[in-house]
Amino acid sequence: MYTQLRGSLSEAPAGQPEEPVPWWRVSRNVVNLGLTSFFTDISSEMISTILPLYLVFTLRMTTLQLGVVDGVYQGASALTRLAAGVAADRGGRHKEVAVAGYGLSAICKLGLLAAGGAFGPLVAMVLADRTGKGIRTAPRDALISLSSPLSRQGVAFGVHRALDTGGALLGPLVAFSLLTLLPGRFDAIFVVSFCFAAVGVAVLLALVEGRRSNVPQHQRQTLRPTLALLRLPRFRLLVLAGAALGLATIADAFIYIALQRRVDFQPTFLPLLYVLTSLVYLVLAVPAGRLADRLGRGSVLMGGYVALAGVYVAILAPAQGTVVVLGSLLLFGTYYACTDGVMSALASGLLPPETRTAGLALLGTSMALAGLAGSVMFGALWTALGLQPAVVAFLVGLTLAVALLAAGLAWTARR
Amino acid sequence: MRRLSREAVFGIVCAVLVAGTAGYVGYVARHVARPPAAAAATGGDPGLLGLMNQPHLVFLQPSGADPTQDVVSVAPLEQGTTVRVQTGLHCQRAYFAGGHGICLGRDLVGSSYFFDDRFQVGRRFQQPGLSSRARISRDGRFAASTVFVTGHSYNTPGFSTQTLITDVASGAAGDLERFIVTQNGQRIQSPDFNFWGVTFAADGDHFYATLGTGGHAYLVEGDQTTRTARVLADQVECPSLSPDGTRVAYKRPLPGDKRNWRLHVLDLRSMVDTALAETRSVDDQVEWLDDSRIAYGLQDEGPPATLDVNLWTLPADGGGAPSLLLAHAASPAVLRG
Repeated sequence: MYTQLRGSLSEAPAGQPEEPVPWWRVSRNVVNLGLTSFFTDISSEMISTILPLYLVFTLRMTTLQLGVVDGVYQGASALTRLAAGVAADRGGRHKEVAVAGYGLSAICKLGLLAAGGAFGPLVAMVLADRTGKGIRTAPRDALISLSSPLSRQGVAFGVHRALDTGGALLGPLVAFSLLTLLPGRFDAIFVVSFCFAAVGVAVLLALVEGRRSNVPQHQRQTLRPTLALLRLPRFRLLVLAGAALGLATIADAFIYIALQRRVDFQPTFLPLLYVLTSLVYLVLAVPAGRLADRLGRGSVLMGGYVALAGVYVAILAPAQGTVVVLGSLLLFGTYYACTDGVMSALASGLLPPETRTAGLALLGTSMALAGLAGSVMFGALWTALGLQPAVVAFLVGLTLAVALLAAGLAWTARR
Repeated sequence: MRRLSREAVFGIVCAVLVAGTAGYVGYVARHVARPPAAAAATGGDPGLLGLMNQPHLVFLQPSGADPTQDVVSVAPLEQGTTVRVQTGLHCQRAYFAGGHGICLGRDLVGSSYFFDDRFQVGRRFQQPGLSSRARISRDGRFAASTVFVTGHSYNTPGFSTQTLITDVASGAAGDLERFIVTQNGQRIQSPDFNFWGVTFAADGDHFYATLGTGGHAYLVEGDQTTRTARVLADQVECPSLSPDGTRVAYKRPLPGDKRNWRLHVLDLRSMVDTALAETRSVDDQVEWLDDSRIAYGLQDEGPPATLDVNLWTLPADGGGAPSLLLAHAASPAVLRG
């Protein structure tokens, strides 16, 4: 089974044999997909930065209405992901589906402006914006992997995630600068945000090569073969382990709050934790991808979760101080660099090209749902038992999940 | 050939997008309304000094130019007064007591500052988030500030508040979420703890506030010296302690409707609760004019409804009817002199 998969995976771009090139060289397609994400993330992080302010001060929305918008913002993308993944695999329309997702989000930036103060249309626009995110993620990751030779998937995803994170860091800066220059002119923010998003779509449309599938007609995919992917032992293991890991992962916000409660630093530095973690992620994404290609993606993935376990231990450590906080952020950024892109790279290597998008979507959705359940569990444990017992429970859970991944990878590799 | 033309089209599209956006931003930049700087009164302004020597209100007036920034203003404490003086200070939520003022939300990154009784900017601090409530203890020693903090990125759950109590002299700030909270003698804790709406007791060390958790909005009584708080009642949001320290005026969520509130007064000795005569929903931390009347901001419901805010006043005993205190004003602080 595995050799058969390997055979179908030799999709180094046609006419480009795997010649010796420096390890950091990734295909132009990957860089362009990274640029699409870079511009799109500037655009969307601009909006998520100013949206609460806009809703409350310009539209005089109550904080409860704001909560509704925030909930929609956080939760809308998981639902459409799987359907879009299946659609993208049918006839190899990855690029078309990705364009639809990125395009929908871009148009929503103007839609937010047009919606004005009407609550219903505003929520609809936020929903459509996040739906666009759900649609585009899996086909984009499939395109990244289909554009890269099997031996360089880690670096390819690393380059993409670095550009993506860079955009996410720049977006708030652009929004802050604009509103400082033009006080109260949210319309300018929406227009500039649309411009960034539209440039992202233009890069995708004009510069990214869609991979026309050469899969025979009768193999075109529907939902049933997608579920049949779960019969691939290694992929099934990855989905299972991914769900277990997602369940044992403490959400960002909880990590930051926990660190803040354990260490009595000035609470006004809280946003800095997020920025520092993203910076570490940005810097380490490509090296971690390279390491994954060299040492094995499974090992680096496990290393990432060990770093996360290190963050848990740091929260529990009796001696707390600035050094512990900085160390925790370093570990937390390392965790992101070693898991997010590497997981996609690992999964891509296990999935046949013709169902790769749906497979990635399946993995992503199951991890997201498990993460959601994990958040609920962590909150309940914290309420019932306190912060430290909750972290201990999740440390045990994470250890078991990593052990499951390790044992499973070793076992399926032997077969 | 086809590749070349695609890249050319890409270049043209980007040029058009950037040019169009730059044109729009340039147009906005030329037409952005700047508040007239000359009209602002400074600390030495005779009109302002005269007002400060009689019972007066320090409040925020919409700047007219930027919906996110209001002007710190002063008016005599007389219903229907037409006298008001604008200072040069701007922010989103303000309060003044004990010779010290606090202004929350000078910009998007949560810049905030203290000011003195001559309206000169003092110590600055950062509290990122949407400015919500501000208070200073009557002795001017402590400031309480609440902001709404929203998610940073894709997978951050929910919406929360952050309330700090700051030592005005030293600038040292502490987060209420680090206080130990008890209910009926038992410690309670949860990651969904949110504090908001602090009101200080006369000694400055004790305070009342709202603790939101698990759908409840508890009234807590806190002690800064022991860093503890205990739950006194439920369904009490944004308490405001009366000058004599016997009652709190607060907003109570309507049953089954968390978007609307009614004003109530709770007697802290007898725990007797009284609904006030305001039938509109009030989302504000009220201020006491004296021991028998309160003041609060309400959005202008028209007709026609506008984004303007006015200050209203109402007897605190459940009788009477609301009447307009001051138009185009919010965030009131009463200084009885």
